[in-house]
Amino acid sequence: MRRLLLLLALIASPSLWAAETRLLTWEEMVPPDAPKVAPVMTPLHDLSKLSDTLAVESSPAAHQLAPDAPMVKALDGQQVRLPGYIVPLEVSEEGRVTEFLLVPYFGACIHVPPPPPNQIVHVTSELGVKVDELYQPYWIEGPMKVKTSSSELATAGYEMEADKILVYELPDS
Amino acid sequence: MYLLRLAMASLANRRFTAFLTAFAIALSVCLLLAVERVRTEARTSFASTISGTDLIVGARSGSINLLLYSVFRIGNATNNIRWDSFEHFANDKQVKWAIPISLGDSHRGYRVMGTNESYFEHYQFGRQQHLELAEGRAFASDPFEVVLGAEVADALKYKLGDQLVLSHGVAVISLVKHDDKPFTVVGILKRTGTPVDRTLHISLGGMEAIHIDWHNGMPARGNERISADQARNMDLTPTAITAFMLGLNSKIATFSVQREINEFRGEPMLAILPGVALQELWGLMGTAEQALFVISLFVVLTGLIGMLTAILTSLNERRREMAILRSVGARPWHVASLLILEAFALALAGAVSGLALLYIGIALAQGYVQSSYGLYLPLSLPSAYEWKLLAGILLAALLMGIVPAWRAYRQSLADGLSIRL
Repeated sequence: MRRLLLLLALIASPSLWAAETRLLTWEEMVPPDAPKVAPVMTPLHDLSKLSDTLAVESSPAAHQLAPDAPMVKALDGQQVRLPGYIVPLEVSEEGRVTEFLLVPYFGACIHVPPPPPNQIVHVTSELGVKVDELYQPYWIEGPMKVKTSSSELATAGYEMEADKILVYELPDS
Repeated sequence: MYLLRLAMASLANRRFTAFLTAFAIALSVCLLLAVERVRTEARTSFASTISGTDLIVGARSGSINLLLYSVFRIGNATNNIRWDSFEHFANDKQVKWAIPISLGDSHRGYRVMGTNESYFEHYQFGRQQHLELAEGRAFASDPFEVVLGAEVADALKYKLGDQLVLSHGVAVISLVKHDDKPFTVVGILKRTGTPVDRTLHISLGGMEAIHIDWHNGMPARGNERISADQARNMDLTPTAITAFMLGLNSKIATFSVQREINEFRGEPMLAILPGVALQELWGLMGTAEQALFVISLFVVLTGLIGMLTAILTSLNERRREMAILRSVGARPWHVASLLILEAFALALAGAVSGLALLYIGIALAQGYVQSSYGLYLPLSLPSAYEWKLLAGILLAALLMGIVPAWRAYRQSLADGLSIRL
């Protein structure tokens, strides 16, 4: 707790990190010239379109809409700070999450397709973070690595080895 | 120092009451520490059971339910899934490895799991540790081979080459046994401290073979029976499995593969991220844990109040003692600190013997708890948190000691050397 407070105090003084750390938003992780993906409009439950629904049922399952989503290559190697929600992948014996996916919204919303690869950061952390509530947002800070897809097997994605993980709090204003 | 000696001597004079008071505190301390220890160890063992698996897939139910039956062998599956659905996703280009799991049978209370070689190759626990064989080998092409978890081999005293019979269903004492098709022990796994230790692993072919002559939910009778040798020559590709685990090429793809499985048109299935399901489970258990913790805190408080009552009631009959102390030169604050020391000594004795009780209890129950709940309780030193709890109890006792101390102080001021009873 004390360490966390210390970190908070360090970060509260902007001059310490503003120089090299870039405050990143999720929109900035999509290249501005990225092609627009045509939305697929299929209502979940609409009996008047039962035949359409059945047609969809018999067709193969929907894939991620843009599996080869473009990445912002300029972010590679940059020290960034980014807020998001933690989706735990690995939990250590002490109950700390040491590997997780950082996503811009909480919960797997079933109304829209899952976020494309350029809206997910795969984060590893040696120390880990104690996650009590899944709907608690966190600040993650660390060097960003951009992996572009070269083959079919390797999916593109953002990766980060987190230096700091802090509870996101609403700014007092 | 002489004050402490006096306090001890005075307590020794009332040793039976003192012993009971300390014992009540010891019991309550033991309860508090036991609740705390079981809580942390349960979390540790849950967290270390699965590692490196990206998705667990089963028939559609709840995420916690799926996690519990597929990984922890707690509860039962709601439904099976088809073999071709498994093959569909095992061959997906995003999928690196897939482990099929088939559950439902048991051997003397230990669950039997049908799987294939990829389980020994890819299943991970703890900090990305793989399963290792202590003796023998993994099962091979013969369907009637079994690989035992460490606990099963230990408890039932099996060794390589032994034959055993599986029973249908998961009851400890089973009335329906697959006794026409005995299995041979070919391997024993190293201890992992996870439910793997309490599992018997057979091949999917073996799982299929023991049920091959079952019709309408009961074993075949008379000449409809298929012997083990006949079964060996039949096609033993399973038609259904209970669940499967997936490892992906890229963690980033987790959500899209999960969505793909959940929306699979072939049959309704559920894919979960083990880490998320574990977090949900802890959220659920958290409430019960807190309730237990609060209850045990109140038990400690009751023990301390018992001590307070015992000291307070003894105050009146000890007026003569105090008068004698005053007559030999003790000041009122001496009398007061004597009583605080007494309360502290009682609480300390209670805390120490509570700790001793806890360790005796753990030493006695360790084997039983591990075999019936799969929970390993180590005889480790108290954690920092447990030390804090103990310190808190002693501090509370000191604060409570102030009450009789204040009264004794007032009395000894008023009484002086002459007691007016």
